[in-house]
Amino acid sequence: MHRPEPEQPTDDLRVNFLRPRRGFMRREVTIIWVTLTAWASLTFGFPLYLAFCPQAQLPGRTIFGMPLHYWFSGQFLIFWFILICCIFNLLIDWLTESYRRRRQEGV
Amino acid sequence: MFGEFKLLPTLVLGATLAITLVIGLFSRHRAEQAYGVSRRQSGHASIGAAIASNWMSAASFLGIAGVFYLQGYFAFAYILGWTGGYVLLLVLMAGQIRRFGKYTAPDFVEARYDSSLARICSAVIAILITLIYCVAQYKGIGLIFAWLFGIDYTRALLLGTGVALTYLVIAGTLGATRNQQFHYVTLILCFVIPLMFIAKKLGYSWLLPQLSYGAALTELPPAMASAYLEPWTFGTPYQWIALSFTLMVGTAGLPHVLSRFYTVPNTRDARWGVVWGLFFIGLLYWSAPAFGAFAKAWQSRSGFTPNPAEAGFLADLIVVKTGEWAGIPDLLVGMLAVGGILAAFSTITGLLITGAGAFAYDIYYRLINPRASERHLLKVAKGVTLLLAVLILVISVNPPGLIAEITAVAFALAGNTLFPVFLLGIWWDRANKYGAVCGMAAGVALTFAPVLFGHLIPELREWLPPTSSALIGAPLVTLIMIVVSLLTPPPPDHVRRFLVEKVHHP
Repeated sequence: MHRPEPEQPTDDLRVNFLRPRRGFMRREVTIIWVTLTAWASLTFGFPLYLAFCPQAQLPGRTIFGMPLHYWFSGQFLIFWFILICCIFNLLIDWLTESYRRRRQEGV
Repeated sequence: MFGEFKLLPTLVLGATLAITLVIGLFSRHRAEQAYGVSRRQSGHASIGAAIASNWMSAASFLGIAGVFYLQGYFAFAYILGWTGGYVLLLVLMAGQIRRFGKYTAPDFVEARYDSSLARICSAVIAILITLIYCVAQYKGIGLIFAWLFGIDYTRALLLGTGVALTYLVIAGTLGATRNQQFHYVTLILCFVIPLMFIAKKLGYSWLLPQLSYGAALTELPPAMASAYLEPWTFGTPYQWIALSFTLMVGTAGLPHVLSRFYTVPNTRDARWGVVWGLFFIGLLYWSAPAFGAFAKAWQSRSGFTPNPAEAGFLADLIVVKTGEWAGIPDLLVGMLAVGGILAAFSTITGLLITGAGAFAYDIYYRLINPRASERHLLKVAKGVTLLLAVLILVISVNPPGLIAEITAVAFALAGNTLFPVFLLGIWWDRANKYGAVCGMAAGVALTFAPVLFGHLIPELREWLPPTSSALIGAPLVTLIMIVVSLLTPPPPDHVRRFLVEKVHHP
């Protein structure tokens, strides 16, 4: 992904999240998919894990003095959301910048 | 139940409201100067504080701790829904909505779908959301005023509404704007400082009560702890996931949350503002469960066991009650009460103005009197604000559930209607007005069917709980929008060109 892909011509007006336009949008959508996967897998994966693996909720398991599942849902996941939002923003900043520079160079 | 009149907390409330008013006046002058001379670009943290203060309502301040007190682990569905929703909002919408450049949800809907009917539908939905959301806020105000003055809930509700409206009118007459950053800092201090004192008083580490409430949980006697520590005592995994998902899509579809993005300088600021906003909101949500846990710890020590009805009644006041039970100074208990009132007041003000504006500009002006002057519309908006305030008052005399639960219904409505309309509006050029109108109608039906017909068809309540209907609702409405759009002509080329060239361009 080090060289920007050429943009699709603008006489084509299609915008579709599942079939993104060539160039900027395709890369943006890839970043979105990665972030959404990171978001959904832990948010919804953890309760499913708790539901299907009953041994996971042994009351004796603690971390920082908290029951493990309380710590994971109540403390860690919020950190996780902030972290993936930061990474998403850095990636989008970098992507936008690379396309803007390319346009200014008149390629 | 509510004890006697509490002088010191009432004085703290009066003083805080007065200070807020003065600071509001001061910020207005500064804002005018800033526009005239040099428009200083505000930083990302400051945008984030504005997002957070706009967000924090009685549901965050009072409601979450209440659910946690009653239902333990199940309450994390609320916390994760209301934080994880910002991830969805950021990656799918924040930047694009900022580039679209419309100021309200109905504005966006009309511009994107090129239809007055779609605009009116979205305005009606915005008003319904205002109504439901405000009922929850009123309940919070009623409970705290009842506690402050030692009177019954209904009288306290009247008194509280009176004070809220008087405050709104005084602020409006003086032209005081809300200083969002000051508001956020006040709220978070009112929440965290008393919590530290509570932790200390009960003998836990006061430095990070967000972690030390874990010790309170593990110390609970086995009979109490087993129900409280097991994850699925108060709801099935399906209910947990459905609730959490509903609150997430609702967050990404709430009109007053989306409106925040139109006022920031550019797309990048909108995106980074969300991250800061999430952090600031996180500070509150990391702390909220601690109130519930400390309340339980105190109850197990003192042997006070309220019956379920009493506990349900206490739940939404548990933040204040925990302070009182732990025996921290009156001033600090007062801070908790004041924080709850401020959160509810500011949310009501913002929502009533949004709701009344939607009626005056999107429904009255479009449908009833297209020749109305600006001054006339302003009068209509003021009248509607009062009307809405009274209507909400009537509903909240018998609140239908916990604060967090009532709020969740508003989120379900937003998630079933505006979320798909925004999502497809931004990410699919082929979505058209027919799809949008059918989708919104279906979304409203899906939201209210379990509320209205749940007692007749129990399966409806099982699969579409009123608080959690969007896990099935949002995908279904999206599908309806896609099918109807494909069966009808595509939207005009100028809209699609705008989407390609402006909204989706680096």
